[in-house]
Amino acid sequence: MKKILIYLFLSIAAITFLYPFYWMIVASLAPESEISGLWVFPSKLTLASYTQMLSKIPIGRSLLNSVIVASLTTLGVIIFSSMVGYALALMRFKGRNLIFYIIIFTMTLPFQITLIPNYITMVKLNLVDTYAALVLPFLLNAFAILLFRQAFMGMPKALIDAARVDGCSDLRILFQVLFPNIIPTIVIVGILTFMNSWNEVLWPLIVIREESLMTMPQMVTLFSVGGRAESQLGVKLASAVLLALPIMIAYTFFQKYFIQSMASSGLKE
Amino acid sequence: MAEVRLVNIGKTYEGGMEAVRNLNLTIQDKEFVVLVGPSGCGKTTTLRMIAGLEDITSGELYIDHKKVNELDPSKREIAMVFQNYALYPHMTAYQNMAFGLKIKRVPKAKIHEQVMRAAEILNIEDILQKKPGKMSGGQRQRIAIGRAIVRRPKVFLFDEPLSNLDAKLRGQMRIELAKLHKKLDATVVYVTHDQVEAMTLGDRVVVMNKGEIIQNASPMELYTNPGSKFVAEFIGSPKMNFIEGYIQSADGKLVFKNNELRFDLSALTHQNLKDHIGKAVELGIRSEDVYLSADNLKNDGQINAQIIAVELLGNEKLIYTELGEHTLIAKVKAGQESPIHRNSDFYIDLEKAYFFGKEDGQRIY
Repeated sequence: MKKILIYLFLSIAAITFLYPFYWMIVASLAPESEISGLWVFPSKLTLASYTQMLSKIPIGRSLLNSVIVASLTTLGVIIFSSMVGYALALMRFKGRNLIFYIIIFTMTLPFQITLIPNYITMVKLNLVDTYAALVLPFLLNAFAILLFRQAFMGMPKALIDAARVDGCSDLRILFQVLFPNIIPTIVIVGILTFMNSWNEVLWPLIVIREESLMTMPQMVTLFSVGGRAESQLGVKLASAVLLALPIMIAYTFFQKYFIQSMASSGLKE
Repeated sequence: MAEVRLVNIGKTYEGGMEAVRNLNLTIQDKEFVVLVGPSGCGKTTTLRMIAGLEDITSGELYIDHKKVNELDPSKREIAMVFQNYALYPHMTAYQNMAFGLKIKRVPKAKIHEQVMRAAEILNIEDILQKKPGKMSGGQRQRIAIGRAIVRRPKVFLFDEPLSNLDAKLRGQMRIELAKLHKKLDATVVYVTHDQVEAMTLGDRVVVMNKGEIIQNASPMELYTNPGSKFVAEFIGSPKMNFIEGYIQSADGKLVFKNNELRFDLSALTHQNLKDHIGKAVELGIRSEDVYLSADNLKNDGQINAQIIAVELLGNEKLIYTELGEHTLIAKVKAGQESPIHRNSDFYIDLEKAYFFGKEDGQRIY
């Protein structure tokens, strides 16, 4: 009896999570006239909303922009945050801990607080309406630094000594000796950064006005609330589905690493 | 191969902790020198300074007559074997051994030749394609040594390389290391806290304590002629027995005395003993110089003590007795009688006894 209750409760919880998603996908495939209530069971499936959406906004171009921006950001975060993490974990210098605490402190600041200073910086640097404006401010990330630092601190010190004796420079130790041994950390940093970058709306809305440079969430948001969808719900939903799709696909591929990195912390050979 | 010379070497860590103090040591070409001592004595720090993994605070370090204080580890022409092997987990044994040469941009064919030759010496040809995770401790240790050999260094540095192995494998690897030294004809500096390793491997053993060299001598010299109580206690298994007491002059005789014992030292006519009349000393005696009978002993000291435990080692046994607050251990032939919990007479060979000052632990006699 208790078991039935638990399953019932879990099923309700699962449905509350999954139903809006289901609704979005089905509604985007239903004829416009049939999307009205909470329950959507279309009489036929059609791609009409999608073709209409494609004709209205350059969604393909924005998809490409998003891919470029998110990939550059992810690559940058992995390279630069790991360098900072390496220095904080393995090098000895004055003020090392202070720097680390300051970095941790920045995690407590919401992005909105630095929005204006960041924007002014972009204007002064003449970077408004460029890819650089979308990528540069995100190239370092406190959370990624923290994850890398912890991963490097968990590596045996002798491994680094051995690499030194073998003639490795710090960069070579980082990328050739340590990197292959912290793949779960790299993957999780990669996924989180990619997702954050992909989903970012507020910042692109501020620094990008040129349509050809807009990222997908920005495009979809402007499309949905900016009036170009002409109040057609199906078209809006179609763009939302396209927006969610890449992240879902990526997650399916890397799910294994998500769990691995959560489960293996603290277990060292 | 090369000579290693440490001149007034000192190491002080941030915060003022002095790990090594004013160390002077010359390791001859092709010599196998073991640095031994309890943990925290500065032996590993010394080795790491030779390797270049630790900055030298003061003094000068020469390898092959060249000052190397400021030189990077990779340019000192040394190779190091670490306690936990420190193999690169993501590389195969072959790649592990080849990595250093690859960085030096040695041609591929030459790398292959050198790796294969090291593999042959160590008998590891069949595990070259395995990754460290799939190897046993002994195999990993061999690869780690192989990685050192491949570099063709002037000096081999070993940092407690056997302490992660089980007792049987440790014994086996000890013999192999000794053979390897002969084969490579190399200068070796070897750090261990295990006095058995130090005694069996070293041409010369350097005993360290609190960042200083206490004694620097051949293994046999250390055993038979320790300069201080510290060395006498550290070298040898079971440990040397110590009995506290005073040297006194009574009726024109020189005696060693405490509340329970009185040994006549007249036969030991050494001026140093006479100089210590009235002073507190410790008498040291190795367990094999404690007997159950006085036969064959020219000059003995008798002790009556209760046997508290007996450990049979095969052809010999260790008899543990209670002597005041101390335990006295006697190593005797297994056949001799030694009833437990009963009092028994023991005879120590005074000719083989050592005397140390109670205050400073320095050898008097």
